[in-house]
Amino acid sequence: MLEIEDLTCTYGSVVAASQVCLSVKAGEILALVGSNGAGKTSTIMATMGHVRITGGSIMLDGVDVTRLGPRHRARLGMAVVPEGRRLFADMTVDENLTVGGYTRTKPAARQARERAYALFPRLAERRRQIAGSMSGGEQQMLAIGRALMVSPKVLLIDELSLGLMPKIIDLCMETIVRLKREGIAIVLVEQNTDRALEVADAVVVLASGRVVKAGTPEMIRADDTFFQTYIGLDGGQAVRNQVEANVEQRSS
Amino acid sequence: MYYVELAVQGLIYGSMYALMALGLTLIYGLLRVLHIAHAAVFTLGAYVGVITANATGSLWIAFPAAILAAVLAGIAIYRLVYAPLLDRPPLVPLIASVGLLILLEDLFRIVFGNQGIAFNENPYVYMTVTIGGLSIGVLQLAMFVGSVASLSAFAAFVAFSRTGAAWRATLGNPQMATSFGVSVAQVRYLNFAIGSAFAGLAGVLIALLNNYAEPGMGTIVSYKTLAIIVLGGLGSMRGALIGSLLLGVIESYGTVYLSGGVDRDAIAALCLIAILMFRPEGLAKRIAA
Repeated sequence: MLEIEDLTCTYGSVVAASQVCLSVKAGEILALVGSNGAGKTSTIMATMGHVRITGGSIMLDGVDVTRLGPRHRARLGMAVVPEGRRLFADMTVDENLTVGGYTRTKPAARQARERAYALFPRLAERRRQIAGSMSGGEQQMLAIGRALMVSPKVLLIDELSLGLMPKIIDLCMETIVRLKREGIAIVLVEQNTDRALEVADAVVVLASGRVVKAGTPEMIRADDTFFQTYIGLDGGQAVRNQVEANVEQRSS
Repeated sequence: MYYVELAVQGLIYGSMYALMALGLTLIYGLLRVLHIAHAAVFTLGAYVGVITANATGSLWIAFPAAILAAVLAGIAIYRLVYAPLLDRPPLVPLIASVGLLILLEDLFRIVFGNQGIAFNENPYVYMTVTIGGLSIGVLQLAMFVGSVASLSAFAAFVAFSRTGAAWRATLGNPQMATSFGVSVAQVRYLNFAIGSAFAGLAGVLIALLNNYAEPGMGTIVSYKTLAIIVLGGLGSMRGALIGSLLLGVIESYGTVYLSGGVDRDAIAALCLIAILMFRPEGLAKRIAA
């Protein structure tokens, strides 16, 4: 469904991603993991077309989208749940979904909206609420719902769990597993590596903008030294602790 | 009753200012460019309105012609002047805009003459109607009704249409809007088209009220609308509307109570200075852009 070959992108003289190759099929979750600054977000944003690439190719469902802008990629079935949600904060939940379904016909958009509300009933309860005034968890639900309005073949998710309570993380993870079963190809960038490996079918590990390992979650976990070197000294526990500490601090 | 009449007069002028200020604030909200040359689009609307009315004898043709000319001019200004400069520091398009205003005003002077041109027939100039004991000029009433109707139609478009939602999304977060298939370029053209249409409409209304169009008629309007969008908060649509009506009313009362020392047109400048000194973020919170 999504084939990326030798993707390279730079910010000035800094190479953010270099010759990244990855492939994800329909009904599969690919976890893109690595430490801070590994090039995960740059890869996602370049795949969506927001970062200009200096080399490589991107194929979406057999169509070469390398030279197309984000709006054309959206029309071909690519959607993004960006880091930090980046909702249209001054607009209501309903209006955010309307923009999400901008490329769809009105009946298709209506159907997609009902589906988003069925997936996240809390959004339906708050459909007239301004997006910027909702909690982090509700905003993440809306970001996923907005992306689903595209009826995506490929869904790019950047930092699904960042700053969320464990209960909300569980709900979001359950949702993406459900979406995978419906046949959507998902690329999941996640700092919480343990959670990412739980749901992933395949894993690509990035370090300094390069792919240093690719395989199944079991293969990545089995290589303990590699896991500790490239992902975290204690298998992502430090990151998880940090996130949970942040959440607790906010709720107190 | 006298005070009510002053307030009504103020609201009528304020509604015209709103037409101009909304266009200016829309463009600032999306591009962060102070479109000073908006005043030249206003003047163009006035000229096309007068010329078309004189040629056809019909205001029903003059209004659409003026609006169309203003829309085309606005789009051309965006395409030829601002679009190539958007990657430059904000001062560059601002200077280009000031230069364009001077250029276009001189162009009007060269083409149409320094004295301006008048309507051959304008039977509405001295007509008045009495509403609730208040005597109001027909043209002033038309200006108020036209402004309110246009601004209401625009508000409905923004609030209830899918294109309006995409447009607001682009104001708030252009990059994410493109992720959902919205064309930022099309939204920018739409923005200039709508803002310029309002300016063209205001141009004809003011030309009708003054009974003529002249090359420098946009100059005072340009600094007044600048004062309004600063008053309302740069980029805020609600602020622009509130600022317009407020300035109209302040001017109306100021003309009477400050008549000894301050000219009507200087009141906007005083408001601008006062706002910059005491509340530089404007009176209303920014709601879009």
